[in-house]
Amino acid sequence: MVLTVEYALEVSQAVFGLALAPFLVGFVRWVKARLQNRRGAPPWQLYYELAKLFGKEVVVSREASWLFYFAPYVVFASTLAAAFLVPLLFAPLPFDGLGDLLAVVYLLMLGTFFLALAGLDPGTAFGGMGSSREMTVAAIAEPTIAVAIFSLAIGTGSTNLGRMVTLTLDNPATAISPGHLLAFAALFIVALAETGRLPVDNPATHLELTMIHEAMILEYSGRYLALIEWAAALKFMIFLSLLANLFLPWGVATDFSPVTISAAVVAFLLKVGCLGLLIAFTETHVAKLRLFRVPELLGVSFVLALLAVTSSLLLK
Amino acid sequence: MRALFLAMLIAYSLGALAALAGGRSALGRRLVALGAVAGSGAGLALGAAVIATGVPFALSFPWLLPLGGGLALRLDSLGAFFLVVVGVGAIPAAVYGAGYSAAYEDGRASLPLLGVMFNLFLLTMSLVTLADNVLTFLLMWEGMSLTSYFLVITESEDEEVRDAGLWYLAMTHMGLVLLLGAFMLLTGGAVSGHFEDLRGRAVSLTPGTRDLVYLLALLGFGSKAGIVPLHVWLPRAHPAAPSHVSALLSGVMIKMGVYGLLRVVLDLLGGGPAWWGGLVLGVGVVSALLGVLYALMEHDLKRLLAFHSVENIGIILIGIGAGLMFHRYGLMSLAALGFIGGLYHVINHAAFKSLLFLGAGSVLYATGTRNMEEMGGLIKRMPWTAIFFLIGAVAISALPPLNGFVSEWLIFQSLLGGVQIPVPEVAAVMPVAVGLLALTSGLTAACFVKAFGITFLALPRSLKAAEAHESPWSMRLGMAGLGLGCIGLGVAAFAVVPVLGRVLAGLGGLPDTRAEFTLNVFLHTPSGLGQMSPTLMALGLVLLLGLLPSVLWLFRLQRRRRLSDPWGCGRVGQTARMEYTATAFAEPLKRVFADIYRPMKKLTVDFHPRSKYFVQSIEYRSEITPWFDQALYRPFLESATFVAKQMRRLQAGSLHLYLLYIAVVLIVLLVFARWF
Amino acid sequence: MVDTLFSQLTTLGSSIALLFGIVLLCRYSFHAYVEAFRWQSLVLAVLLVVVGYFGAASELYLVAAVFFALKVVFIPHYLERLAKRVGAPREIQPYVNVTTSLVVAAVLVLLAYGIMRPVVQAGQLPTRGGLPLAAGLIFVGLFVIISRKKALTQIVGFLVLENGIALLAALGAFGIPLIVELGVFLDVLMGFLVMQVFVYQIHGTFESIDVEQLNQLRH
Repeated sequence: MVLTVEYALEVSQAVFGLALAPFLVGFVRWVKARLQNRRGAPPWQLYYELAKLFGKEVVVSREASWLFYFAPYVVFASTLAAAFLVPLLFAPLPFDGLGDLLAVVYLLMLGTFFLALAGLDPGTAFGGMGSSREMTVAAIAEPTIAVAIFSLAIGTGSTNLGRMVTLTLDNPATAISPGHLLAFAALFIVALAETGRLPVDNPATHLELTMIHEAMILEYSGRYLALIEWAAALKFMIFLSLLANLFLPWGVATDFSPVTISAAVVAFLLKVGCLGLLIAFTETHVAKLRLFRVPELLGVSFVLALLAVTSSLLLK
Repeated sequence: MRALFLAMLIAYSLGALAALAGGRSALGRRLVALGAVAGSGAGLALGAAVIATGVPFALSFPWLLPLGGGLALRLDSLGAFFLVVVGVGAIPAAVYGAGYSAAYEDGRASLPLLGVMFNLFLLTMSLVTLADNVLTFLLMWEGMSLTSYFLVITESEDEEVRDAGLWYLAMTHMGLVLLLGAFMLLTGGAVSGHFEDLRGRAVSLTPGTRDLVYLLALLGFGSKAGIVPLHVWLPRAHPAAPSHVSALLSGVMIKMGVYGLLRVVLDLLGGGPAWWGGLVLGVGVVSALLGVLYALMEHDLKRLLAFHSVENIGIILIGIGAGLMFHRYGLMSLAALGFIGGLYHVINHAAFKSLLFLGAGSVLYATGTRNMEEMGGLIKRMPWTAIFFLIGAVAISALPPLNGFVSEWLIFQSLLGGVQIPVPEVAAVMPVAVGLLALTSGLTAACFVKAFGITFLALPRSLKAAEAHESPWSMRLGMAGLGLGCIGLGVAAFAVVPVLGRVLAGLGGLPDTRAEFTLNVFLHTPSGLGQMSPTLMALGLVLLLGLLPSVLWLFRLQRRRRLSDPWGCGRVGQTARMEYTATAFAEPLKRVFADIYRPMKKLTVDFHPRSKYFVQSIEYRSEITPWFDQALYRPFLESATFVAKQMRRLQAGSLHLYLLYIAVVLIVLLVFARWF
Repeated sequence: MVDTLFSQLTTLGSSIALLFGIVLLCRYSFHAYVEAFRWQSLVLAVLLVVVGYFGAASELYLVAAVFFALKVVFIPHYLERLAKRVGAPREIQPYVNVTTSLVVAAVLVLLAYGIMRPVVQAGQLPTRGGLPLAAGLIFVGLFVIISRKKALTQIVGFLVLENGIALLAALGAFGIPLIVELGVFLDVLMGFLVMQVFVYQIHGTFESIDVEQLNQLRH
């Protein structure tokens, strides 16, 4: 009986994340607009966009192959599968043993892989450019993620996300250890890179030569574009919830009473909202980097992660 | 088990004989393939039987060769595992070869020689894993090298192929010399080179001798495996060989280097100080990184895959190095985890690299070119090859839920366990290794997006690609088998890990970890560090992939598609010239890693004679030569040539003079021996 | 009694073989060379049977049979054929004339005795008396190779050298392990075939088989 409740909660948590993701993206956009003295579209604008896209006709390039049609489903499925493994509201959950943080990272990479292939498929130059740049950024961001995972694993003693959260809750001192703080900084920069935010990529640009993520999906329309946009929003949500719940786990429900669950929802919204504000501020503050400056930025994040690990190792 | 062994011998011999008798006809080719399949199947069964029962299989013929103890064969779990790897690689390659070798019927290569050498190659390689004394091991090792040399130079009309063969021959014999040194030190002048005796003797060797043996073994076996900087033969020889042979060279033969290393360092020497493991780890990291970096810049499909083999050997050595380091500090569970990760990657690489090479071979068979810049659009013309190549690409990029991900996860977890090493300076090596391993896996994914995308997707870039056709059924069958293998090895990881634990039990003092790392369908590491289940992940992904279209259909959101031109900023019409090229795809990474590549750039601009504001032509040339060739090998080769030129002075050209030299020296030696 | 008969027989046989080898140095026509070699091989085949019988080494019977087939039948036949193809040479001007050759041969045999003395003294085998003669045969064969100008006669010298080695092995160790023996035979056969090819090539390029002409190939 308890087990089915847990499974139900797990599924509902993922659905909650899925439903909230467009709002989060819209919220960040709205804050940016306000900071730039514009009125901005309301935060729930993305819901309207998705609904519109799902109803539209799909126009596909003549040169595309079955991969083009297959890729959006793979992207969405892999991102959703990763979302199942991330503790948004509860920890630990039955799916926790299914995959750890490494699995989450590689599941997201699976989506990127197929999206990059889909960018090459129609045979346009923009698609190729987007794929090439996206894979470069993704490849160079990998070492930072891995080393940051290492430092978190040293601090908490596990790589499975639910267990990391509970272990940090049991030892609050780890949350303010220098290792964790440095890892937070490193992962923040990586989150900007992986989700296509300034200063790495401008999600609002309309100039093809400045695009990374958008250039890859230029040929998509209709329901495929809707799936990809939603998956991108979900990926953003996953990164923010990782940053929130791994480093500031307070508020995550460890038992399943209605009180803790509602408290968890409120805490989650608060943490993610603050992170969203932080990202909006960062995006407004910086200009987009040239593509060949991005590795330098990611190199900085790698050094931060390395420092995180060494401090964790030496201060153990 | 003896029956299986005999079956293996007989099948290979029959295959070789069939090649001699009627290698050119279609029936002959099929018989050759049948012999190879039967032989490697028997070998696989033998290996599986030894692993399953835990009883080693032994056979010896001391009278066959009167020195060094004769021919002694013994298959223990470690050798059995590698014999299984041989089977896994050889069976699909042989089936594939039955169809592929039809391309040589026009006589540009000798089919009987190919068939004979193919079977002998597999036989000698299988016997390497069975060898139980120094003589047998070295004999079979040399046999393996020689037969593979003949296989590499199959298309000997091509100058490049002959050059590749020369490099291969030279480097494999250099490795042999190093191995001779290592074994000579191990036997220390005793007549019997039986591994049992060596094991006993090794404990009483001085630490200096042990270190020297270790270094010689690492260099000798490493040159066969393809570690940097001894890898230079790999990107030359593997593309030059016929595709099913390349699959075997990359997928199976270089693993024999890993087998030899494990046998000598872990089994015979029983492990050693921490710097041994550290050196293997370092070499692994460097090989992995440089392998993938040079692979990124290749536009020859098979050379790209060959560089990836260097990278994957690096990954295997990372696992093994970590295992050796933990072994030194007595952290036996973690050591077993590291070795299991390395061995798992051995069989995974055999599966997906063979698959990729067979796919590249199909592409070569259909288009006649290995150059990616001339391909494109093959996914519509060769759909099955494309799917199998995609499976291989996803597997090698370590993406869940396929097999590459599982072995990399295991290696990551063992590196993460490095925090338990009591010496902090040594433990600090682990995060760097973790970071660089992650970098290589990211770069691999980028490289295979390029390889698959440019080769198969979009529009054909040349007439050859536009006229490509799908490969014959035997080639597709070989690829399908390996594709299923990749999927199976990933999804059934919970079954493979206990087998590997059993393989390692007892080796160098490792405990029996067959039940330690799995829990039903989950894989978990000691002290609860990490847990994962690729089986359930695969299930979940398949479920979600099926769910999505159904949900969309439920909401009646499945509209019909309209085909149209792609977006071109208002430009009408799409040609192949507008697509991204392979060089362009890798260009950002070339710039990022320019310090390592040191590309040579040359730009010449031809201005119009009347005005410098008009340009007639622009030529841009960029070349990347691996700097080992410049910095390491060229000086060595030049000094050797110089010495040889000086020695030429002794050659007067007269045959009688040379004979006189021989006779005089002989008599002088005899006189010396007798009276002094 | 059997022992001394054994050692007497072997010493006799080795002496006859060495004699045939020295006879080689006095002859001019190629046919004579081949005949001397053929008779020498026959004597050696018989000697192998004797050693096999008295020394109770039964694999020597097989070795003797192969020896007979190879060196008494096969190789001389092919040598004659080769000579017909390229024109049977007359070794008119060897590097050293007959008298000097014989003197050198005598010196070499003495040298062989000197070198083999400790082996003969310390040895236990009844056949040890023939060991210096076998060594002498090896040296003589080597000398034939060095001092002849024509390629064909050099080949015969090489074959005599091989005979000497086989004799040494038979006397000194009652034969060598079967697989090595077979390997050596294969070696000789291969060497002979390769040399055949070379002679054709030399003849084709220079229209003569005077080995001195090869000097022109020097880079």
